[in-house]
Amino acid sequence: MASVSEMYDVGWEEMRDKLRKWREENCRNSEQIVDVGEELISEHASKLGDDIWIIYEQVMIAALDCSRDDLALTCLQELEKQFSDSHRVKRLSGMRLEALERYDEANKDYDAILQDDPTNTAARKRKISILKAQGKSAEAIRELNEYLEMTHPQLYQSTYCFPCHFHSYGKAAFCLEELMMTNPHNHLYCEQYAEVKYTQGGLENLELSRKYFAQALRLNNRNMRALFGLYMSASHIAASPKVSAKVKKDNMKYAAWAATQINRAYKLAGRGTKENKCSMKAVEEMLESMQITMS
Amino acid sequence: MPIQLTSQAYCKMLLHAAKYPHCAVNGLLVAEKTKEKKKDSHSEPVLCVDCVPLFHGTLALAPMLEVALTLIDTWCKENNYIIAGYYQANERTKDSRPNQVAEKVAARISENFSDAAIVMVDNSRLTMSCFEPIVVIYDHHENKWKSRDVTSDCFEDWSEAQKITSALLEGRSYENLIDFDNHLDDLRNDWTNPVINKSVLDLC
Repeated sequence: MASVSEMYDVGWEEMRDKLRKWREENCRNSEQIVDVGEELISEHASKLGDDIWIIYEQVMIAALDCSRDDLALTCLQELEKQFSDSHRVKRLSGMRLEALERYDEANKDYDAILQDDPTNTAARKRKISILKAQGKSAEAIRELNEYLEMTHPQLYQSTYCFPCHFHSYGKAAFCLEELMMTNPHNHLYCEQYAEVKYTQGGLENLELSRKYFAQALRLNNRNMRALFGLYMSASHIAASPKVSAKVKKDNMKYAAWAATQINRAYKLAGRGTKENKCSMKAVEEMLESMQITMS
Repeated sequence: MPIQLTSQAYCKMLLHAAKYPHCAVNGLLVAEKTKEKKKDSHSEPVLCVDCVPLFHGTLALAPMLEVALTLIDTWCKENNYIIAGYYQANERTKDSRPNQVAEKVAARISENFSDAAIVMVDNSRLTMSCFEPIVVIYDHHENKWKSRDVTSDCFEDWSEAQKITSALLEGRSYENLIDFDNHLDDLRNDWTNPVINKSVLDLC
């Protein structure tokens, strides 16, 4: 099989830079990371300098994702040789045991870290992940609550998806509220909060969701989910028998505006491609049919 | 009327699951709409000719699901299809039972198509070679979802489905699979997957 450098005509520096980009963007494209990283490590290790350690870490985690225990072990052993007492490396060792489903041994590693350093959030997160992987959802949620009570803002980031998974929308909303407070310019949090509120249902939550979809759009007017969300929430509010005539009229205006923007976005996207015309037509018809049911 | 899967429907489902191994994924199954109701239509299976991959990651949020269902419904009407089923691959390898989301969506689909089925992918048996079918089909009986034995009769042509799916998995075609989430990220991404459909046709 051809090497990555041959297939894509890239040199080792480009491969190294690509790995860095994927690290910074937190991409989970594990197969690609393994392909590029493995070649980089085996053929250009000496040129990488101190970067090699973080690359070993990145490739090791990607290797676990791809069931490449051979590669993961190689990377881990290099890291253990270099950083013998590190908590960070111990966590990687635990992750490998998790991948092999040796959960008890993995927990031993994490407990050892936490004994040394009770504030180590990475180890705590891994323990919760083990509970989740074992399907022990009640315990996982309990641990999650304790974890959140430590009020570290970064924790909410990776945890709001988790309550959604177990249908604890209230918890997910709480996490997102914290995230929005510390990241007021992040349109994604606004939009995801709006989605959770919409899912919780009820007129009040719908109105809140509409407000947050609108806010997300103010922060990024190309967020399609926010645009669709605004359309859906405003349409549902307008169609509700419990609202006043004024609220109905206002929401119909918001929905109409959103519909125009959606159509415009599809027209822009469809320029030049024949295939997209089917999507565009479907969207137009969908918006028309919903307006009929509203009025 | 039990459902049957074409090679295209089956392989796109598996490609979706393979593209996001660390996430739950879901999607809709579509069948061709038959105009007349034949008298003995009870024994004829409903052929799901295609599937539309929907989301990956968090499957349980309502607004985008509603948008997707409405949009795909409109698309179906234009192409004389009907939404006939729902598929899901759970996040955990060992868990292949339908959850609340699956049942809710399937209930919604049943409003327009009484024999809607849930197709769950059994992640623990997903391999490149696809020697055996790895889906579990659930039908609605007496208010409960009951699983049915999956044999090669559940496929229009199992050996063709097996060959095509295996070839596309080996060739990493799943990297190019577009789901509705990808479409929302960039409207130019086409959730009908014409490129993959063509690859399937070429391999038939």
